[in-house]
Amino acid sequence: MTSPSSPEQPWPVRTVARKVAEWIGRLGEVWVEGQVAQLSRRGNAATVFLTLRDPAADLSIPVTCPRDVVDRPGLELAEGARVIVRARPDYYVARGSFSLRATEIRAVGLGELLARIERIRRLLAAEGLFDVVRKRPLPFAPAVVGVITGRDSAAERDVLVTARRRWPAVRFAVHNCAVQGPTAAESVMAGLRKLDADPAVEVIVIARGGGSVEDLLPFSDEGLVRAIAATRTPVVTAVGHETDTTLVDHVADVRAATPTDAAHRVVPEIGEQRRLVEGLRARARHLLGTRLEQQERWLESVRSRPVLADPQRLLAGRADDVAALRSRSTRTLTHRVEGAERDLEHARARVAALSPAATLDRGYAVVQRADGALVRDPAEVGDDERLQVRVAGGRLPVRVDRSGTGEDGEP
Amino acid sequence: MSIPEPTAEPTQTYEQAREELADVVRRLEAGGLTLEESLALWERGEQLAELCQHWLDRARERLAAAAPQD
Repeated sequence: MTSPSSPEQPWPVRTVARKVAEWIGRLGEVWVEGQVAQLSRRGNAATVFLTLRDPAADLSIPVTCPRDVVDRPGLELAEGARVIVRARPDYYVARGSFSLRATEIRAVGLGELLARIERIRRLLAAEGLFDVVRKRPLPFAPAVVGVITGRDSAAERDVLVTARRRWPAVRFAVHNCAVQGPTAAESVMAGLRKLDADPAVEVIVIARGGGSVEDLLPFSDEGLVRAIAATRTPVVTAVGHETDTTLVDHVADVRAATPTDAAHRVVPEIGEQRRLVEGLRARARHLLGTRLEQQERWLESVRSRPVLADPQRLLAGRADDVAALRSRSTRTLTHRVEGAERDLEHARARVAALSPAATLDRGYAVVQRADGALVRDPAEVGDDERLQVRVAGGRLPVRVDRSGTGEDGEP
Repeated sequence: MSIPEPTAEPTQTYEQAREELADVVRRLEAGGLTLEESLALWERGEQLAELCQHWLDRARERLAAAAPQD
């Protein structure tokens, strides 16, 4: 710190100038409302000088600012315009002049701007341009993504880098154009026409970083909104900050919060998709495996059924039947034979019983007349009759001789 | 009751073979067949079982081939 100034040790002008500059700098950035009193643009000088007047207090302050702050579209700065200015006090040491250094000038007529946008919104909404039913689904994994954005803008980088990381196979058709100022709407539309006409482009992303209401004004341009509505290709908008809403957001098929979000919406994440596919593949194979196992078990059970596994059983059954039948038939046969034998025995016995042979053996004899009739009573037989006498050993011809006596029957 | 034709048509699908095999087993178990019929039926059953087994083995091979790192 320099020592205090005194007549004996006065500060040089430069010190005083520096200190004044320091003091003034302490004010910091301020928003000032006022009216443009004088506005001088000397040719294409980089800096513009104007005077900001306080209409209520008849005071004014000189203001300097870069040309583009004044030439910003939608601002149409003219003398007498009511404006609000974001500025910082600046003490130009070389000439000891003070002015406000402006970084943003807004027309007070902002309200009108917003009102105008609202009117357009209602008009287009009434025409049904914003209806949900018009929203088209985005393609799952587009081969070519159309991108309309400012040249080398952060928005462009976010979209491209994020999309490539998620889906390396994606390709882009980038249309760089003005995304601010009076030509912005028209250049975005030109991009839209070009990309929409390209059959390879399956989705179009309109990406722009944040900005003031005026900056984003072109994105509420009626012509642009209608152009988007008329495209064949689905459109994703990522314009301004999440909190900003422009009319293009209403008409877009998908409104992304940020350029990065837009990338997330238009391309799938490859790792995730690969896991998904792997999962499905495993499940399919598992289902098939269990189905196969089921069938194999069924076949096994069928093959183990006795009728198949053990056909001998069939035959065995039959063989048993045959064996049973055979034994039965043999049994019946033997019975019958035995029966027959018994009958024979009986018959023979009866024959034997009836047949005189046994009696003859016992010494009896059978007397038959010539005609074979048996003689049971001597009276039947005449004298000298020739008879046959059968003895055990055979037959004997005899003649009746009653000359003797002793015929039975006489006392 | 017709005796099934012994050779299996090549175009017979697995399901057809399986259905017929189930039917053969049902009829054999129901009984009431002449010896000749049950023999023919039994042969048919064996043939069908062989066919089904063949189908399943091939399916198993194809499944394994599809994903060797099973």
